[in-house]
Amino acid sequence: MNGQEKLERGYRRVLACYPRSFLSDSEDEIVAVLLDTADEGQQRVRLAEAADLIRGALRMRLRPASRPPRAVRGAVRLVCAGAVAQLAAAVTIIVTAASVRAGLASRPGITAALRDQALSLLTFREISAIVAVVLWLLMAWALSQGRDAGRLAFASFFALITMTVLVGLAEHGATYAAADMIAGAAIWAIALGTLVLIFMPQSSRYYRQVARQAAHS
Amino acid sequence: MQEATFLIMTSLADGSQHGYGIIADVRQISDGRVKLRAGTLYTALDRLRADGMAEVDREEIVEGRLRRYYRLTPAGAKVLAEEAARLRANATAALRRLNPGLAGGVT
Repeated sequence: MNGQEKLERGYRRVLACYPRSFLSDSEDEIVAVLLDTADEGQQRVRLAEAADLIRGALRMRLRPASRPPRAVRGAVRLVCAGAVAQLAAAVTIIVTAASVRAGLASRPGITAALRDQALSLLTFREISAIVAVVLWLLMAWALSQGRDAGRLAFASFFALITMTVLVGLAEHGATYAAADMIAGAAIWAIALGTLVLIFMPQSSRYYRQVARQAAHS
Repeated sequence: MQEATFLIMTSLADGSQHGYGIIADVRQISDGRVKLRAGTLYTALDRLRADGMAEVDREEIVEGRLRRYYRLTPAGAKVLAEEAARLRANATAALRRLNPGLAGGVT
């Protein structure tokens, strides 16, 4: 496989996150433009290119059929911010986990059972952080499409976040790292703001209206 | 209207263009300041087509690859004209206040 083919395959892999209807219409065309704008001898998709493509895909997927009221648009933007904050938290956890693992391995006097427990807790935290990012994105999608079930799902999600924060506070209290506290508080505040926005009267009217339209079609 | 969308519509205002042509044109219109990327371009084009502001003019196969030309619809041209007038009014007001001596001479 030559460099150009490799690059083309990379572009197609990133493009897979676009809606299928868009790809069946425009994939070859956008690939041609991407190859035309690539640098001489470039073999890999650059980070900035991938970021731009993913942002476009998100925007396309989150585009509603009828324009929602301001509160709902604000809520969707907040949920996207929540996804970004959660992603930052997930990356931080994964990056720092490596050094924690190394520290655990070299620490004298720690029992094997305790070490195993700490390691599995670490893995659990990494996985749940990634799952949380996916959940935030799913919520953004459901809320932007005017799905009433999305509001209910978000309310449950908010309850879960609140519980996690409270349990964390009760368990670790004084030993909680300041960065952890700030990240948790920021994510919780974003979720609270979203909850208020999606249950405002004008938002409720919009969600009911979309549900009615769906029932008729 | 976002600047990228405004510049894409401007690029289509005097005739049809294909994707790469729009990117090159927008760069020239904005004096090299705006470097459109493919994701931004096609998301905006998709929206413009859905809203009836732009449409496919024709398709060609160049070196085995699909090349699609886009053009502005009359509705798109009207929206672009309104947006351009709005931007000009804002710019004129700003320049007039910054530089009262030049009032009327900046347009």
